[in-house]
Amino acid sequence: MSPTSADVLRGTLDLLVLKTLTLEPMHGWGISQRIEQLSKGAIALNQGSLYPALQRLELKDWVRSEWRTTLNNRRAKYYALTAAGRKALGEEKADWRRYVNLVAAILEAS
Amino acid sequence: MSAWRGAWLRLRALVGKAAVEGELEEEIRFHLERETERNLALGMSPAEARRRARIAFGGVEDTREAHRDARGTRWLEDALADARHAVRVLRRNPALTAAAVLTLALGIGANTAIFSAVNAVILKPLPFPRSDRLVALGEDNAERSWHMQTAAPANMYDWRAQVAAFADVAAYTYPRPAVLTGIGAPRPIQTTPVTGNFFTVLGVAAERGRVLRDAETWSPTGVATVAVISDRLWRDAFSGAADVVGRSVRLDGRDVAIVGVMPARFAFPDEQGDVWLPMGWKPDDRALPSFRRAHYVRPIARLRDRVTLDQASAQLAAVARRLQQVNPVLDRGMDAHLESLHRFLVGDTREPLLLLLGAVVVLLLIACANVGNLLLVQAAGREREAALRLTLGAGRGRLVRQAFTESLVLSLVGAAVGLALGWWGTRVLGALQPRGMLPVSDVPVSWPVVGYVLAVALLCGLLFGTAPALWSARRAPVEALKEESRSNTSRRLRRWSDALAVAEMALAILLTLGAGLLVRSYVLLERTSPGFDPHGVLAVELHAIESRYDSDAKVLGFYRDVEAGVAAVPGAASVAAVSVVPLTGGGWTSDFSVAGEPPPAQARDVAHREVTPGYFRLMRVPLLAGRDFTDADDSSHPPVVLINEALRARYFAGRDPIGMRICFDAHPDSTSEWRTIVGVVGNERAISLAIEPMPEFFAPLAQEGGRAIMTILVRTVGDPLALLPGVRAAVSAVDPELTPRSATTLDDVRSASLAQQRFIMILLLAFAGTGFLLAVIGVYGVMAQLARRRTREMGIRIALGAQAGAVQWLVVRHALALVGVAVAAGVAAGVAGTRLMGALLYGVRPGDPLTFAIVPAALALTALAASWLPARRVSRADPAGTLRAE
Repeated sequence: MSPTSADVLRGTLDLLVLKTLTLEPMHGWGISQRIEQLSKGAIALNQGSLYPALQRLELKDWVRSEWRTTLNNRRAKYYALTAAGRKALGEEKADWRRYVNLVAAILEAS
Repeated sequence: MSAWRGAWLRLRALVGKAAVEGELEEEIRFHLERETERNLALGMSPAEARRRARIAFGGVEDTREAHRDARGTRWLEDALADARHAVRVLRRNPALTAAAVLTLALGIGANTAIFSAVNAVILKPLPFPRSDRLVALGEDNAERSWHMQTAAPANMYDWRAQVAAFADVAAYTYPRPAVLTGIGAPRPIQTTPVTGNFFTVLGVAAERGRVLRDAETWSPTGVATVAVISDRLWRDAFSGAADVVGRSVRLDGRDVAIVGVMPARFAFPDEQGDVWLPMGWKPDDRALPSFRRAHYVRPIARLRDRVTLDQASAQLAAVARRLQQVNPVLDRGMDAHLESLHRFLVGDTREPLLLLLGAVVVLLLIACANVGNLLLVQAAGREREAALRLTLGAGRGRLVRQAFTESLVLSLVGAAVGLALGWWGTRVLGALQPRGMLPVSDVPVSWPVVGYVLAVALLCGLLFGTAPALWSARRAPVEALKEESRSNTSRRLRRWSDALAVAEMALAILLTLGAGLLVRSYVLLERTSPGFDPHGVLAVELHAIESRYDSDAKVLGFYRDVEAGVAAVPGAASVAAVSVVPLTGGGWTSDFSVAGEPPPAQARDVAHREVTPGYFRLMRVPLLAGRDFTDADDSSHPPVVLINEALRARYFAGRDPIGMRICFDAHPDSTSEWRTIVGVVGNERAISLAIEPMPEFFAPLAQEGGRAIMTILVRTVGDPLALLPGVRAAVSAVDPELTPRSATTLDDVRSASLAQQRFIMILLLAFAGTGFLLAVIGVYGVMAQLARRRTREMGIRIALGAQAGAVQWLVVRHALALVGVAVAAGVAAGVAGTRLMGALLYGVRPGDPLTFAIVPAALALTALAASWLPARRVSRADPAGTLRAE
């Protein structure tokens, strides 16, 4: 599988965004950079899909947003994890591990 | 917190849509700039850097759309957009919209008015605490064909003591007139005698002072000495004086102390009551046979908690059976019955109201079918628009929703107009209703009514929106866009509108059948002779109050003087007096036995009236045998009676009753007074026009010791009411303090006896007429549409030499088929539906053949005539012109 074509698995984008935001509040572009960085370039996001995802998370009250000025003095919308979001991340992570193990077990079975 | 925040975000997305979109644009711009800067830093050319940034971002428009979806307000935005579109479409067709709104408003308005009445009368609980625990009691007697009759006080007290299901039992008697003096001018009022615990059983307290006490039921003197007054009397007669409690007034010349004032909303048993008095029985009365012989109190009871109506009924029946054994003579055959107090008070009003509710629902269905067809025709006109939208990618679901939104907007506008119409309708209902039919003074449009109307409107919208919505969804776009397949799709459309037209015609037949039966009943009732000639007779009710007319001689003298005085009034042809005017509900009844015959095996229940000589001549009631009363039939002569034909036929069949002697006791003893039958007179209808004459005795007033309340009848030469001032003056000349209790004409009495039937008939006729008209308009619309769509075909046929008549026949034949199906369905529904109105009919049976022949025929003919009009227009069209137009 070539790195550029690796699409984000359906439903995991929210998980990645939440995980990224555990470090510090970030704007959308920052999140996309961080995800690509953490995946060592293996995941090439369709960056535009971040914004609907952030909107969804905000409606669930897992993230909050506010307009701030960046280091080089430009306005950007920053997203921060809420307490509910932190809790949800824990649960989603556990779910994800269970799922991966399950799929792996099935694939490994000969 | 999170729920609030979510709601806030959604609200902002909806209301501050522009701001939210602006923020998104700014975010996207920022993102692309940063990405471009990064690419530049990696050494790309500016153009390349921008290009790569856009590729990495993906579709900007996709992001915008996905963001909108993620806001969770999509459905609402769509709905609003649909509604805006619907309003635009409706405004583009003002004629169609006005027709649809008007049709719906008629249906919904009628529903509002009738449901308001149903809500006020049937659904709203009585205004007493835990009113579901209150029941009304009455006596049943198979031998006397009694049901829920007023009870004997002794039986009422036995039930109170022995039925464990009752927490307490109280009683009242029907309001009786009295004159209040000692406070301004003498004031005629209504008093309601009650037991002392009456108010506590109902669970109401006095607004001022106190209610009556149980012990106050009894009075050593046999006369009530305390009273509770209504808020109305307190305001009118006492000007709302704060010190009214404790004051003494004179009721019919006796001193009574006011102990309390009831709240304004308290009205029981009806709105007429001004004063509640204790029964005032003497404590010794309880032991007397008369306490069990006379049945005149209406008991009410409060059930204990957790006792069901059925359990209480069973216990009451058991106690009544035991009482029959303990009192074999007086309680012979006497059973007891109970029903919910609410149901009892609503009584006869329930059935007509439910019938009218059914009628307006059917009317609304017709209106819905009509509007459905209008929308269908309109949707057909817009099929190319729909097809275009489908082709451009609109979802079928969205098109269906769009169609439903249109019908919902229409139905809500219709509901608003209908509610206004209905509000006005309730005023009309309140004004037109016969007095006492709706036991509420005004019929308010309240929240339950508004809720009902909204629910009905939404249901309507769904109902008449279904056909156009489904139709628009099933359209294949390619087909619709192709001209040639028009006839193909129009066939499918026609099936829908045919079904709707058949449905509304069938419903109109059902409605009109019901109305037709009521009209037939009414005509038969109107033609029924009451047994007397009511035309040109004035009736004035007088009350010789006991305190001043305390002996028989005084009462008799009073009425003799009044009769003489009234006879001298110019225009008075003859004068007589009667204790109860016929058609107003009858008087007291009793058993009787015939001298020389064994006591009757079955109880007899015959009515009594007292008259002065000349009553029968004045009323033009024929004397069938024997002689009439004369002035000589007074207390110094042997007692005599007259019987009516109904009594002779029932008890003296095949015998000559004249000369026989009777007494008003089932078991005569030495104290019985024997009277001789001297004549037989014709029947009068005593209770109402719809009720057959019942057996009656008549006695001369002069031999009956005088009744305090009598009605003076005056047969007049001209307009009876023109004599009223003269009659009043004549009464005043005899007793200046006495004012007539009421004055009316016997024509009005007869008319009042028909009032409820007339009221229901007029309403049902109005609903049926509206339904009929709507159905005919609907059929006309369908046929006009059919004719228009087949114009081309007709043109070709005529061009090829077909006769105009043959072409018309094509359209009429189609109408004939629809009408045939509708008549079959309507008559079938009518056979089932009119069976429910049996109790409201007089002289006709639910399946009356005449009605069932005329009504469907009338609708069929009108519908065919309506379909012939468009057919004629088509066949007259110039064939060449028609063909060119296509």
